[in-house]
Amino acid sequence: MLEIKNLHATVGDKEILKGINLSIKAGEIHAIMGPNGAGKSTLSYVLAGRDGYEVTSGEVLYKGEDLLALSPDERASKGIFLAFQYPVEIPGVASATFLKTAYNAQRKYRGEPEVDAMEFLKLIREKTKELDIKDDMLKRAVNVGFSGGEKKRNEVLQMALLEPDLMLLDETDSGLDIDALKIAADGVNRLRSPERAGLIITHYQRLLDYIVPDFVHVLADGKIVKSGDKSLALELEEKGYAALSAA
Amino acid sequence: MKNLTPLAQTYVDRFSAASGSLPGHNSPAVAALRKSGLARFASLDFPGRKVEEWRFTNLTALTKGIKTTDAPANAALPAAEFETPHVMTFVNGRFSASESRLDKLPDGIKITSLAAELEAGNSALLGSDTEDNRAVVALNTAFMEDGFVLTADDMVTMETPLLIRFVTKADATENAHHMRNIIRLGEKACVTLLEEHLGADGHAYFANPVTDITLKKGARLNHYKLQAESNSAFHLANTDCEVPADAVYENFALSTGARLSRNELETRLSGGKSKSILNGAYLMRGAQHCDTTTVTRHLVPENDSAQIYKGILDDEAQGVFQGKIQIVPDAQQVAGDQLSRALLLSDRASVSVKPELEIHADDVKCSHGASSGELDEDALFYLQSRGIEEKAARKMLIDAFLADVLDEISDEAVRQYFATITARWMEKV
Repeated sequence: MLEIKNLHATVGDKEILKGINLSIKAGEIHAIMGPNGAGKSTLSYVLAGRDGYEVTSGEVLYKGEDLLALSPDERASKGIFLAFQYPVEIPGVASATFLKTAYNAQRKYRGEPEVDAMEFLKLIREKTKELDIKDDMLKRAVNVGFSGGEKKRNEVLQMALLEPDLMLLDETDSGLDIDALKIAADGVNRLRSPERAGLIITHYQRLLDYIVPDFVHVLADGKIVKSGDKSLALELEEKGYAALSAA
Repeated sequence: MKNLTPLAQTYVDRFSAASGSLPGHNSPAVAALRKSGLARFASLDFPGRKVEEWRFTNLTALTKGIKTTDAPANAALPAAEFETPHVMTFVNGRFSASESRLDKLPDGIKITSLAAELEAGNSALLGSDTEDNRAVVALNTAFMEDGFVLTADDMVTMETPLLIRFVTKADATENAHHMRNIIRLGEKACVTLLEEHLGADGHAYFANPVTDITLKKGARLNHYKLQAESNSAFHLANTDCEVPADAVYENFALSTGARLSRNELETRLSGGKSKSILNGAYLMRGAQHCDTTTVTRHLVPENDSAQIYKGILDDEAQGVFQGKIQIVPDAQQVAGDQLSRALLLSDRASVSVKPELEIHADDVKCSHGASSGELDEDALFYLQSRGIEEKAARKMLIDAFLADVLDEISDEAVRQYFATITARWMEKV
């Protein structure tokens, strides 16, 4: 599903990603762990197509297509979803309007019929119920005045609604208490299927107790320095990143 | 004597000849008023940038004389889009009966043209020339040619908005219009008024409307204005409103037109529980310049004023907001709020803001805030990352920026109309 080959990227003049190679097949969940400053968030932004993150060499294929040639909205409509580490507050835009616009924009892009307000309301109510989210959140402006936990829950709600093929989770566990963490993990696990894949970026191992990855990679100084199965996460938790770097 | 600017000199030179044909020329009182206006204008001249109130707005392009060579050959009168049974139209500075519909006005509402009033010798409604340092108001007094005179009797309520259109066509023989409008609302009268100032793009002219409003106790005027003049025009408007006890003056100005415009509003809160609500939105692109200048005077205790102005500036457009709130000694328990926000869509666009609080009472609640900035890139990316195209995402954010100020418009039909116009403007962003 996702094929990252020798990816180099800079932010400003600084090279952050220094040759990433990673292959994710449908049905797999990969976790990327690493110390602060390793380039974890940069990787997620490069994959989502954020301005200011310049790819200097390498390529990324998504479902066989050149991902880097697509705009952020095209990537989203083709099934990539980035759950933000810091979801953005958007004053003046009601959550319900935002979600409906996004949902219909993606449907339109894929040539599917758009849904009307009634259908959408029905759909979103199902999702909020599943994720134990209060409906009044839909009336509030996007993320404005939300607590850290509410913001992350809102990301999971969007993911549940948009049903992406490739889920990118950027430090979704940060700022979450254990109950919220379980709900977030549950949101991801519900979507897990042989057709979907996920890339979970995290500093800590604890999220991986709830979303069990098939592969774990360690990112340090812009490169993947070690790969393994879920036991690697436990090893890191025990020994720390420093031991790994020293090795 | 100092040299006048070229345009001011033209007015001074033309006055004697012109005044013989301006409406009311047979009335000695009107003639005296015009003469006094001209004398004051001649002593003031158009304000230069050394005049503090005009620091941010440079009139040189106007005062050196307007070039009319770029007038389009054939520009039709824009059709009225706002639906209302009551329409008064002025074309090229003169009342056009054929394009007006004023036969369904409720009893107690009267609307006439200023020219007709002056021809009839009714100069009393103009009052006397005041000692006023506003040169363009003095110029208007000297050259006023027409305008609307609206009166409402006590207790009369007019449910549907009255639309007043000032249209400048490319075939105008004069390239300046000095409209003088007068509004008098009786006690507890309630009227909604929408003014439109329209012209065909490419046509250069100077519009100089002056509106004089007096409300009686408990009256309410919802006064809306669309300034969509030609993008080559100059529009310098002055509106004064007296707001006595229990009266409410609500003003909303939507400005999209003119090469250079200034909307100057002065409200005088002269009674308890009176309220002045001044709001507006300006949408500017190209090299347009839009100045909003307000003066709010709290002259007695216990009244409120509120202002929200929002601007969207693209390309090299410039915005100006100057808001003065004056609270005289002993005008206690007064609240005055003011907010100015500008969204800059280009790094060449700019806004100058000057809030001015002049408070001489101690038991008052005043606030002012000003901000300007670009579209939030984080928010833009967030929307795009959910599948919303960049253009639509930008539009959502701009809509959100404007939404709360448009919501301040209390008349629903006007609110929707202005939303349509702003949406149309955004199509071109």
